[in-house]
Amino acid sequence: MIVLLIFLSIYGAFVGAARAKSFFNSLPLTVYWLVFLFTLAAGLGAFVRLVREPGLLFMHLGVIVVLLGGMAGSERGHEIQRRFLGIDKIQSGSMVIGEGESENLITSDKYGAMWKLPFSIKLKDFRMEYYKPDYLRVQTRSGVGWKIPVEAGVEYSLGEDIGELRIVRAFENFKITIEGDKRIAVDDQREGVNPAVQVEIRHRDGVITSEYVFERFPSRPGPEDKFLLTYRRIIRDYISDLEVIRDGKVVAEKSIEVNKPLHFGGYHFYQSSYDAEAGQYTVLSVTSDTGLRFVYSGYLMLCGGVIWHFWLREILTKRKLRRAERNNGN
Amino acid sequence: MEIKYTLQGLLIYIAMGGYLSAFMTTAAGWKRTGRVLFFFGFLTSCFSYGYRWYDAGHVPLQNLFEVFLCLGMIYPFSLFCRRVLRVGGVLGDMFLGAVVLFPAGFIFNAEPQHLPPALQSRLFVPHVTVYVLSYLFMAKGSFQAVMQLTGREYKTEDGLLRPEEATYRMIRVGFVLLTLGLILGSWWGKLAWGDYWGWDPKEIWSLASWLVYVGYFHFRYMFGKRHARINSIWVIAGMAVIIITLLWVNLSRLFSGLHSYAV
Repeated sequence: MIVLLIFLSIYGAFVGAARAKSFFNSLPLTVYWLVFLFTLAAGLGAFVRLVREPGLLFMHLGVIVVLLGGMAGSERGHEIQRRFLGIDKIQSGSMVIGEGESENLITSDKYGAMWKLPFSIKLKDFRMEYYKPDYLRVQTRSGVGWKIPVEAGVEYSLGEDIGELRIVRAFENFKITIEGDKRIAVDDQREGVNPAVQVEIRHRDGVITSEYVFERFPSRPGPEDKFLLTYRRIIRDYISDLEVIRDGKVVAEKSIEVNKPLHFGGYHFYQSSYDAEAGQYTVLSVTSDTGLRFVYSGYLMLCGGVIWHFWLREILTKRKLRRAERNNGN
Repeated sequence: MEIKYTLQGLLIYIAMGGYLSAFMTTAAGWKRTGRVLFFFGFLTSCFSYGYRWYDAGHVPLQNLFEVFLCLGMIYPFSLFCRRVLRVGGVLGDMFLGAVVLFPAGFIFNAEPQHLPPALQSRLFVPHVTVYVLSYLFMAKGSFQAVMQLTGREYKTEDGLLRPEEATYRMIRVGFVLLTLGLILGSWWGKLAWGDYWGWDPKEIWSLASWLVYVGYFHFRYMFGKRHARINSIWVIAGMAVIIITLLWVNLSRLFSGLHSYAV
């Protein structure tokens, strides 16, 4: 069984996550998992050592409990619970919520439909945080590159061939306004995101040129250009401030971010995606928590089992032996 | 492959030089000098890792460059194996120190990177650390397995274990860490990506390596005394799967997945 699972795993690793998931959840593999479970349980019954030694017992029980939890939490597990136990939950899906709006529908491709939650999730605010300072990248044709912090007034030498670069101004939301016959660049504080940097380059021949480098609209180098400028901000975090509303009342609140999901009503809500254009909506992935307690309990048993069997048992046996030797010596 | 003309690169090359000279002097019979050089290589390796930590602004375990830099601090591990676990192979450890620093010094990109949101977790350091440690134990276990297969043994006056037993002891210690790494990774996956098991290539290869060692323990218990050499083949197969998990999955386009940032 173990050797077969090794080969199945190696096959699964080659086909990609999505196909591997459906492969390991397919009917033949469900039969395999059931046989695997039965073999583990039968092994506990057949080999006395597995029950007498707590480490071995916990390791094997741990694997059984993890598998049971995994089966309960699978799509097929949810289907069986719906049909026979009347537990009506969706295994996974996603929600798109606009800022200031509430939503109680989960979309799922697998079910080809919307799933209605008995409560609503309201998005109070969505925001992104960036590492500071931002950086402007300069890449020459010869492969030499520089990373320059985007701070107004910073001057940087780009070598004798090119000249000097100066950061003039950084924009969060670059826009052009027309005043009379002049075009003026402004940093618009209203809706929209269009980060840009204004740079000034003092060329070797003394000529000064000015240009704007946009994060969203990277320029392409022309045949005459000696270097390419790119501006990229590095995202530190995505945060959605959520409220859970039931019967018109706020029953829970949480600011969720990557690694910090919201757990409510038998589901976990994760920060999954966002409105890349204007930051006006968030996308949450929703996962049922069915079977999760079993899986975590199995993990604890497995950890306890391996630590006891492979580490502690030998250390304690050695101590006992040493004590016995000392007592015999006395 | 490129030479790093930076302080970081210089420290890596000095550490590699320390380990290689330790290996050569010990092999030539000057054990005391070898130990001093081994310790010197370790100290330089620590400086190199500390400098990286300062430069990157976070615990440097984010990508393969940083993981291999961490693996280079092998001296305390070697000392622990010899003094506590009674497993020899210091000469091999000296060589291993230089081998693991080689990709950090010549192959992997050393440009510091910010931590992406998924890596900003309290589980990041324990998950990677236990895996790094387990890989060291498994590598040393595999070295002992090769010693057993090739019929080479230590002088027993040092009180060291014979290769087959030494392999078993190494794998026992490493397997616990491997299990913790797998479970911590699964827990972290649940917090970051919504599922404790996403069938990502790296996850599946990690499971495969764990299963190979599970197979080793079962085989050794059932048939290990009659077919002692096959025990060692299991261990070497486990190491091969670990190398695939650590390197091939991240470097090959064949296995693109959630762990691709770790290059």
